[in-house]
Amino acid sequence: MERFVIIGAGAAGITAAKTLRAFRPQDVITVLSTDEQVHSRCMLHKFLGHERTAEGINFVPADFFEKNDIYHISGQTVTGIDTAAKTVSYGEGYSVPYDKLLIAAGSAFFIPPIPHFREAPNVFGFRDLSDALKIDAAFAGGKRVFIVGSGLVGLDAASALCRRGAQVTIAEMAPRVMPLQTDGYAASVYQKVFEDHGCRFLLGIGASDAVVDGEGNITEVILSTGEHVPCDFIIMAAGVRPRIQLAQAAGIRAERAIEVDDHLRTSAPDVYAAGDCTGLSGVWPDAMAQGKAAAENMAGVGTVYEKPYPFKNTSNFFGVTMLSVGRLDQTEGADVIVHRTPKEYKKAIVKDGKLTGYLSLGDISNSGLYLHLIKNGVDVSGKLDRIFRLTFADFYGINEKNGEYVYTV
Amino acid sequence: MSNCTGCLSRNTCPSADKPMESYIRSLPLETAHHRVEKQETKCGFGLQGVCCRLCANGPCRITPDAPRGICGANADTIVARNFLRAVAAGSGCYIHVVENTARQLKNTGLHRDKIRSEKALNHLADLLGVTGEDKYDLCVKVADAVLSDLYRPEYEGMELVEKLAYAPRVKRWKELGILPGGAKGEVFNNIVKTSTNLSSDPVEMLLSCLRLGVSTGLYGLQLTNLLNDVVLGDPVIRSAPVGMNVIDPGYINILITGHQHSLFTYIQDRLLDEDVVAKAKAAGAKGFKLVGCTCVGQDLQLRGAHYTEIFDGHAGNNYISEAVLSCGAIDAVLSEFNCTLPGIETVCEELKIKQICLDVVAKKANAEYIPFNYETREADGDRIIDEIIAAYTARRGAVPMNLFTDHGNKNTLTGVSEGSLKDFLGGSWKPLIDLIAAGKIKGLAGVVGCSSVAYGHDTLTAALTKELIARDILVLTAGCSSGGLENIGLMTPEAADLAGPNLRAVCKELGIPPVLNFGPCLAIGRLEIVATEIAAELGVDLPQLPLVLSAAQWLEEQALADGAFALALGLPLHLGVPPFITGSKLVTKVLTEDMLSLTGGRVIIDGDGKSAADKLEAIIEEKRRALNI
Amino acid sequence: MKRIFIDPAKCDGCKNCTIACMASHADMTPRRGSLDELRQAVYALDLTDPAVQSRNRILSDGQGGYKPIFCRHCDVPDCAGTCMSGALEKNLETGLVEYNEDKCAACYMCVMNCRYGVPAISPDRKRIIKCDFCAHLEEGPACVRACPKKAIEVREV
Repeated sequence: MERFVIIGAGAAGITAAKTLRAFRPQDVITVLSTDEQVHSRCMLHKFLGHERTAEGINFVPADFFEKNDIYHISGQTVTGIDTAAKTVSYGEGYSVPYDKLLIAAGSAFFIPPIPHFREAPNVFGFRDLSDALKIDAAFAGGKRVFIVGSGLVGLDAASALCRRGAQVTIAEMAPRVMPLQTDGYAASVYQKVFEDHGCRFLLGIGASDAVVDGEGNITEVILSTGEHVPCDFIIMAAGVRPRIQLAQAAGIRAERAIEVDDHLRTSAPDVYAAGDCTGLSGVWPDAMAQGKAAAENMAGVGTVYEKPYPFKNTSNFFGVTMLSVGRLDQTEGADVIVHRTPKEYKKAIVKDGKLTGYLSLGDISNSGLYLHLIKNGVDVSGKLDRIFRLTFADFYGINEKNGEYVYTV
Repeated sequence: MSNCTGCLSRNTCPSADKPMESYIRSLPLETAHHRVEKQETKCGFGLQGVCCRLCANGPCRITPDAPRGICGANADTIVARNFLRAVAAGSGCYIHVVENTARQLKNTGLHRDKIRSEKALNHLADLLGVTGEDKYDLCVKVADAVLSDLYRPEYEGMELVEKLAYAPRVKRWKELGILPGGAKGEVFNNIVKTSTNLSSDPVEMLLSCLRLGVSTGLYGLQLTNLLNDVVLGDPVIRSAPVGMNVIDPGYINILITGHQHSLFTYIQDRLLDEDVVAKAKAAGAKGFKLVGCTCVGQDLQLRGAHYTEIFDGHAGNNYISEAVLSCGAIDAVLSEFNCTLPGIETVCEELKIKQICLDVVAKKANAEYIPFNYETREADGDRIIDEIIAAYTARRGAVPMNLFTDHGNKNTLTGVSEGSLKDFLGGSWKPLIDLIAAGKIKGLAGVVGCSSVAYGHDTLTAALTKELIARDILVLTAGCSSGGLENIGLMTPEAADLAGPNLRAVCKELGIPPVLNFGPCLAIGRLEIVATEIAAELGVDLPQLPLVLSAAQWLEEQALADGAFALALGLPLHLGVPPFITGSKLVTKVLTEDMLSLTGGRVIIDGDGKSAADKLEAIIEEKRRALNI
Repeated sequence: MKRIFIDPAKCDGCKNCTIACMASHADMTPRRGSLDELRQAVYALDLTDPAVQSRNRILSDGQGGYKPIFCRHCDVPDCAGTCMSGALEKNLETGLVEYNEDKCAACYMCVMNCRYGVPAISPDRKRIIKCDFCAHLEEGPACVRACPKKAIEVREV
């Protein structure tokens, strides 16, 4: 009987636990998490926007641990890993032994070195349920919110708080909102819809200083332009850093992120890592895929994890939906094809007969194949005339044995 | 049959006529009832009426992703266009029938041929305001008056409309601009309207449907009956056998199918001539018999008092014609119109039944076409008779008999018409009006139109009728609905037991069934004459009467043209399945709601007998209240 | 598990499966779902309402043939494998990829990740539209029964 320990109950950790249980019906599986309850950070805005309760953003059934016979040690912070003794210590002096360990500790929000920001008690991240609870409490005291960063996390927080009547100011260093996922036009559509809901954007502008009160709370943000923006609290959404401190302390190789090989093994024997802490990708589907691959390897299946394709996302703010895949910013030597009607906007970037980027704003139904085409470098040179109308019919194939589809290229 | 077990194992649709259902299920031949199962999958776009194949860009279908066809036509246009096309075609059918009927009357006059009802002739002449030198000349004048209206251009109003229709209705039709021009021209013009990239106006097209309804109803339905009465004789109320028991294998049996009874005028008499009977006897038969099927059989049954020798009775409606032929004792099919199902062809082929067609519009693929021609009718008739005798000789003994001698009943009340019913009531509608006013009869329901099989043979017609009579609503039938209802005994006096207590008492007292058989679908026109006369006696307009219509199992385009007449008359019209219109909210709303303010009529769609009866009863009760009765 | 097998060569593009799917899902009340019931539902469908969506699509191959796109309820489903709300789950007993609308956060990860482009999004942008094997109909998937060519059929795999 083997003992599996998983640190973290996010996308990677939970998927790993579920996968392990499928392969190892009898073995002992323990999940340690700082969070009291499992939740999807992609749904935090639903909690913050009071659309759902904490239970409502749980991405597994309420009886997940019970039903799968998995120990869940929740609300406990892991304090150390002893790779020689093969134990994980947590809380106030407890420890749990492992035969195989998975570190799926995720990532932490990052606060840039702006005076007062790192110390101020009213500067919050928006990564975990605990963050959301803190913001919720702060919101009771004042509705002027300053958000640093207009990526998906920043906009998630903004949309949730707008819904509740906040006055939101968002500072974005880049010249447009959601700079990683949009182009100028798509950004303008989102900017408008947020502005219509009461947000103010400060584009190409950063925070450079702050005014604090007697308790160190920031009461005004001083912009790079010198303007003072009064606020009740601040949400940092200017990027994340993989959580590597535990690994580093245990002597596991981790500089910017925890290093893993193609089996998601770390430098320490029987220690695996998956999810954001590996720095391989920052998106949910990849964390799940890594959790699954790592678990399979821990169970001895021998799965080679192929490098993820991290440039992909969808967004849905105020009913404005967008699918964004590939490198929209890399257009050198590429053909850029654009289709725009009052209801939809599409953009394809084609280089050497292959799609390298695809953006669709509007009805994104049935567009999953674009990720597949981009990720796999499928040749579409003969199909450029209908590049926005590609469907699986263009690559149709059926596995006669099991009836599943297969790509025919 | 090479593969009988295969046939037997197949399922057939349910029928209101349970013995018939078993009979058909056991047949070694395929019938429409067998084919239902294989056609169970219906095209959803077709059901909604939102498929258009009027041009090479099509077929275009309306979906949420594609709310317009390539040409730009939306669901309202496509539905209205398809619907108008159907109504125009249906109108064309009835106008064809009345045209041939009028021509027959004219020829009767010109050739000083046999006139069976001078009373009917004089009544018609009075109605139309026509006079003549003698009865033959009167026939010619009456026929010409009708024909000249039919042939009038579409831009000239027909002259007889105001003479045939009830004045308050004519007034309303004028206000709506739906007084028809020449009936054939109306069909022509409206077909044009529905062609590619012509009309796109759904409301105008729906009004055109009403205009076609008026010409169809007044000419195709009402006049056809009145013209036929002259040549073929007035209906007389009597008791007659119905169902497959009427078939006597000792005779050379001819199944007649169609709608144009007058085309049989000559031959049905000729078959009784001594020389012809002698020929039959020489072939080994006792003589000839006509067996009724579809509406022409229903019409012959209606006038059966005049034809007791040649006509033994009506076997059933359109959708048992294959079964009737399967009994083996039918030697020939003489057809002249619908509903002559293509399905009879394989049965006829298998059982060596001779098929002869008298009118090219109903030419069956394997039928011999001997067009009815007044001038050559004698020679043609003899040729037909000889061929039928030849078929009899060739087939009898060579094909299996599968008689169904206990099917149907012997005492169905038939022969009910606007004239015979009024006579029965003592020459006035007052007794009926009094019964209605006293609540002994809650109201009248015309359960008319066709029989269909896709959702059960006569099942809805029967269920609805039983529900209606149980609610003391007197049911009048015309069309293949009659054929179905008579075979299951609802037109026998004993059926009174199925009626509600008040209606039952009336039926028992008068010795009538709770369902009165007016015969063919053409006789829908007779029902409407009854309604008009009652309204006139009460001094109210038609929509005020406690009268509803149901074409529960409407089948074809003709039924839709009839239905358009019912709506023009301002009557509530129930249909069991929607006429391929629900894809257009506008068309559906106009027909089911807005029609009330246009003509007073409306379409009610309900596929369930009980809930349909609930709705119709509620309408009757509402109208009773409005009349303070 | 069961899967709807497709024979594209038999498909005539009549879209009866599409309309049957719409009719089936117009009412999610558990019921028998006979062809007769479905026909009644077809009459009532508003085919001009974008909210009336089909879970299957019949696509032309541009050469006179058709390529039916039906959810495969994949053995390793891209959609459930990337769902961040737990709304999509592969039911290991039935083999179906089940969708729980109440859990769905409409993030559309599944739309992006299904390589066959099966999931669609609802006009209100609050749900996805995906085959549920007509779990509410006793008689099973409406599309299969509506196909006049038997181009689709349920088979055990």
